[in-house]
Amino acid sequence: MQLKDNKHIGIGFRKDFSEELLASDILKPAFIELAPENWIGMGGYWKKQLDKAAEKYPITCHGLSLSIGSPDDLDLDFLHKIKKFIKQYNVQIYSEHLSYAKCDNAHLYDLLPIPFRKDAVKHIISRIKQVQDVLEMPLAIENVSYYTPVAAEMDEATFISEIVNGSGCNLLLDVNNVYVNSFNHKYNAKEFITKLPLDKVAYIHMAGHEQISDTVIIDTHGEAIIDPVFDLFEYTTVLLKPVPVLLERDFNIPELEELQGEITRMETIVSKTWKKEHAIA
Amino acid sequence: MPLLKEDTHAQQSKLAEYCKTGVKPDLIGVIQENLHHYRRLVFNIGIDTIETAYPITYRFLPDEIWDKLVYDFYAEHKCKTPQVWRMPMEFYEYCVEKDIQAKLGYRFLNDLLYFEWLEMEVHTMDDIAYPPIKTEGDWLNNILALNPEHKLVKFTYPVHMLAATELEGKAGDYFLLMYREKESGRVQCMDISILYAYILEQLQNGATLQEILTEADTLFQINNFEMLKEHALNFVNDLKQREFILGFLNT
Repeated sequence: MQLKDNKHIGIGFRKDFSEELLASDILKPAFIELAPENWIGMGGYWKKQLDKAAEKYPITCHGLSLSIGSPDDLDLDFLHKIKKFIKQYNVQIYSEHLSYAKCDNAHLYDLLPIPFRKDAVKHIISRIKQVQDVLEMPLAIENVSYYTPVAAEMDEATFISEIVNGSGCNLLLDVNNVYVNSFNHKYNAKEFITKLPLDKVAYIHMAGHEQISDTVIIDTHGEAIIDPVFDLFEYTTVLLKPVPVLLERDFNIPELEELQGEITRMETIVSKTWKKEHAIA
Repeated sequence: MPLLKEDTHAQQSKLAEYCKTGVKPDLIGVIQENLHHYRRLVFNIGIDTIETAYPITYRFLPDEIWDKLVYDFYAEHKCKTPQVWRMPMEFYEYCVEKDIQAKLGYRFLNDLLYFEWLEMEVHTMDDIAYPPIKTEGDWLNNILALNPEHKLVKFTYPVHMLAATELEGKAGDYFLLMYREKESGRVQCMDISILYAYILEQLQNGATLQEILTEADTLFQINNFEMLKEHALNFVNDLKQREFILGFLNT
């Protein structure tokens, strides 16, 4: 994937700041990421904004509703719409969450935890292969934050690894989610990362979160990234080949200068470890 | 043979159902004190989306009625669209299907909800190709080219003109033209009479103004073609000024 100005850090394209992003150079992302669900079939003003953004930046897509872990059949009609969108905007990376957002024919529009079980692994591997066959490109799946396991029979790292290795898909490593889960479920974040199939990491997400009690952090994407997550990111980059990195900020959007500060900080970190790279394969 | 075992499917179904209804599920191996976060997060997305789509109805209905309506919708309805911004349309359809307006005693509720949804739909609907046009032509005998990104709607209550608190007892026939400006993407609304609604409907069907007015003169028992023509040309001219009528269809 060729990134803008040979940099690595992108930002989630939000309607809240799309005008300012397109009209100014305060933010200097290497690419933008958007959820295809929020744009497919949309015309008028927002279509114009999207087209302007596509002229200015490379685009990655991060899906919300494919529901790769759902017991329901895949929505093939929707998947074909995604494929068309991906082609239209020359999207090089399409990722989805390793969770489910639809069950028994009802969409819930949020990410529910899949039971870490062997049969779920096989079920999801089959679905990922089906998705990749339709899209004719690899899918990257994201490790999600979760607040409780459900009917687990294996640990999270094993669950993720077996799915990635069995399906041949890529991994979107969400560093903030690892931090959130390590706090909520009391494990060592660095050890967890080393257990993942790091050679399959094609994309990284970074975000802020909110600690709501002594024992629970909620993955809000509504706060600045905290120092321990930056530290975990730095640790992670040493273990990886260069990949695009996304700053997710979905709520409580600050001044763009503040977001650029986070982008610059991440760019400084990766420039130390990935300094010899100019383009990302 | 399905790869997913029935028990695993059942665990997933129970968690999903809990998020919809709030009724505590019997789940294996969960952190009980954290389970409510899922219900809260799922429900908040639904509430925010619906309240953003229907700000007038949300402000008009008493809080306890609104809260129960949204709660019942989430518990009883299975949202079909994978695109959350389209979900409010399903909320409207749910209210119509359950005849909520009769149950609540607000006979204008369906119209109000539809008006609010329509504004969002016209603003966001997929682009429609504009027809080829020419600027010179005969207003009466050439086919007129319309902005294709529009909706012509009949309401029983004047939800597009009056505040929700003033709608009771105002039942009648009301017509609304809603369209999207090509360049700005802004949505414009025009209250129009039944005669003009008829003219627009026939223009949509490709009839010429001369053909339409000949029919309308009899249909509306006007029996004064010249007067009708004068009014219709003023109307058409107004729509031209508003850039809703683009010119003459270049066939």
